[in-house]
Amino acid sequence: MSIFEYNGAAIIAMAGKNCVAIGSDLRFGVQFQTLATDYQKIYKIHDHLYLGLAGLGTDAQTLSQRFVFKHNLYKLREERNIKPSTFGEMVSSTLYEKRFGPYFCSPVIAGLEEAKDGTWQPYLCGMDTIGAIEKAHDFMVAGTAPDSLSGMCESTWKPDMEPDELFETLSQCLLSGVDRDALSGWGGIVNVITKDQVITRTLKGRMD
Amino acid sequence: MTIIVPSGTGNVYAGSGTIQHPSWSPYDENGGTCVAVSGNDYCVVASSNRLSTGFSILTRDESKIIKMSHKCVIATANCQADRKTLQKTLQTRHIMYMHNHGKPMSVAAMAQLVSNTLYYKRFFPYYTYNLVCGLDEEGKGAVYTYDPVGSYERTGYSCEGTGKDLIQPVLDNQLKASSPLVLPAENWMTALPMDDAVDLVKDAFVSAGERDIYTGDVVELLIITKDGVRTEHLDLKKD
Amino acid sequence: MDRMDLSCLESAPRSRAAELCPADLMSQSVSGSSFPLPQVQDMDAFQRDAMAYIKPNHGTTTLGFIFEHGVIVAVDSRASSGTYISSQTVKKVIEINPFLLGTMAGGAADCQFWQRNLGMRCRLYELNNNRRISVRAASKLLANTMFSYKGMGLSMGTMIAGYDPTGPALWYVDSDGQRTSGKVFSVGSGSLYAYGVLDNGYKWDMAVEDAIELGQRSIYHATFRDAVSGGTVSVYHVTKDGWTKVRGVDVGQLHYKYYPECDLHPCHGKPPI
Repeated sequence: MSIFEYNGAAIIAMAGKNCVAIGSDLRFGVQFQTLATDYQKIYKIHDHLYLGLAGLGTDAQTLSQRFVFKHNLYKLREERNIKPSTFGEMVSSTLYEKRFGPYFCSPVIAGLEEAKDGTWQPYLCGMDTIGAIEKAHDFMVAGTAPDSLSGMCESTWKPDMEPDELFETLSQCLLSGVDRDALSGWGGIVNVITKDQVITRTLKGRMD
Repeated sequence: MTIIVPSGTGNVYAGSGTIQHPSWSPYDENGGTCVAVSGNDYCVVASSNRLSTGFSILTRDESKIIKMSHKCVIATANCQADRKTLQKTLQTRHIMYMHNHGKPMSVAAMAQLVSNTLYYKRFFPYYTYNLVCGLDEEGKGAVYTYDPVGSYERTGYSCEGTGKDLIQPVLDNQLKASSPLVLPAENWMTALPMDDAVDLVKDAFVSAGERDIYTGDVVELLIITKDGVRTEHLDLKKD
Repeated sequence: MDRMDLSCLESAPRSRAAELCPADLMSQSVSGSSFPLPQVQDMDAFQRDAMAYIKPNHGTTTLGFIFEHGVIVAVDSRASSGTYISSQTVKKVIEINPFLLGTMAGGAADCQFWQRNLGMRCRLYELNNNRRISVRAASKLLANTMFSYKGMGLSMGTMIAGYDPTGPALWYVDSDGQRTSGKVFSVGSGSLYAYGVLDNGYKWDMAVEDAIELGQRSIYHATFRDAVSGGTVSVYHVTKDGWTKVRGVDVGQLHYKYYPECDLHPCHGKPPI
């Protein structure tokens, strides 16, 4: 069994109209044994920027703490929040530092970024373990069943969804996707990020 | 992808009767996706016609579905050599059955035959993923889904092959009903109108074609109703 | 010095393994000849590699126990190949005849095929002898078959449960040829979780309804903890009048019946945000 499948995870990020959403399952397990069902794989960087880390749990925690630390230093120096695109590059270079002994994590970044015309546009990207950025305008998935998740996203995503519809679509993708994966599921959590607020909802899922 | 199955390094001795090779790879992965959705009086079966090995496409026009009778078809994905052998064996057995009984096999009988035929190769399996589809004795749509060594189950819909991971959750999302094992029994089939089912299958293939390199070119759809089997084609991207 | 002829105890050489399939048995189930084998020297290695590519479906949590009022058999319904869940609706209790049940753990095809074969042989016994086969004999038929294929890579962990003139009976039979009778068994990857609940709640003189609930609960807890168990819990009760299916509950709903509120569950350490 691959080290990426040691703990199990499912993460989806999706872009909407002036909003973006990111959700994950809640299982924390060791191989086939479920240990907890309240384990989030999504970390808040600031109000407009969330980071999802799939893969080995211990590396995900280490990385998330490093990113929070780096963002704190950034805020002290720049006196503002980091832009999602800048943060993406920072995650990428942090991962590449460990090119020959990587963190066993694949990150997904979802955020809102202020455009030149003053609107807030979604920023979405994913990465491999050594930081090759893959930007997306629609959706990004990571975890132990990426095919199940992207199959769902591919057939349900459409452009310019409003926050409510975006939440519904992402939830459906997450719940149906994890129901075909043994290593993820046990409920889910979805964050919908808009300019003014972040709406967080927990999802009831199958607990098997 | 070519699979290398090492044959061990035991000593060669005269008359051992075992053929010796430095390495032997009996299996090839030729890809392909099969989808079947059944309803109250129909069954839609579809499969992509692309045949690949590794990163190359061998042909864009290889049908993976055989019609056994006007009420029963079999769709088979993956290893082409095994598929040909399996389908030929089944066809022969079916002709023999028709000579003996003067009628074509029911889907249920065909389903059991396929299971036994697959299990008979338990120690040297056919590397195939099968769906047996058709109309049952009552005229209801039936889909039987298999693993490569012949464990099988009747379901309302199913997907096998390389696009399975991508398509199956979508079908679950749209069609999943109560489990057939629940007591008191509940309806376990979501019966879509036929046109909706055809559209769903087509949409599923278009989506899978975006992500699965082994699914593409053209989809062959067989629509089984009491009036017989109708064939449709849907073009997918050729990249 | 004379030596005893112990050749019957030796396992057959690999190249003759095909002869192990009893010809009369096969002619009744598949097309008249025995299972073809690949032309390799190391059959074990070939089987291992082939199974790694083919990833056959695997069954998971099953349990059975005898108590004062008969036998309870309970199972989940998930089949997975690798980490992919290939089905949530597998029938893991195989109804061999109205007085005999077999459960399924291990390779789904192995269990399905050989228990169907066992069903046929039990029926033939009935026709030949004009009485039903005992559970003891039925389980031995299966165990003997399994023993004859020992080392060929079959994977099956099964319980044969039933009722015959000697009373309720429960036998464990697996693909190594092991055959044991007992009062309480659980088989499969989730069996340890099921045993925890089962051993805790088991009493010889429990009421039928309590026994059914115990079987259901044990399977439920196994599906919760074990990633490759799940789907629907099915419970069967075997009495002198034969078996009946008494429960069939989807685990998706069962969890929220046992734990209506999320934070009641021990796995929920902190309240959701």
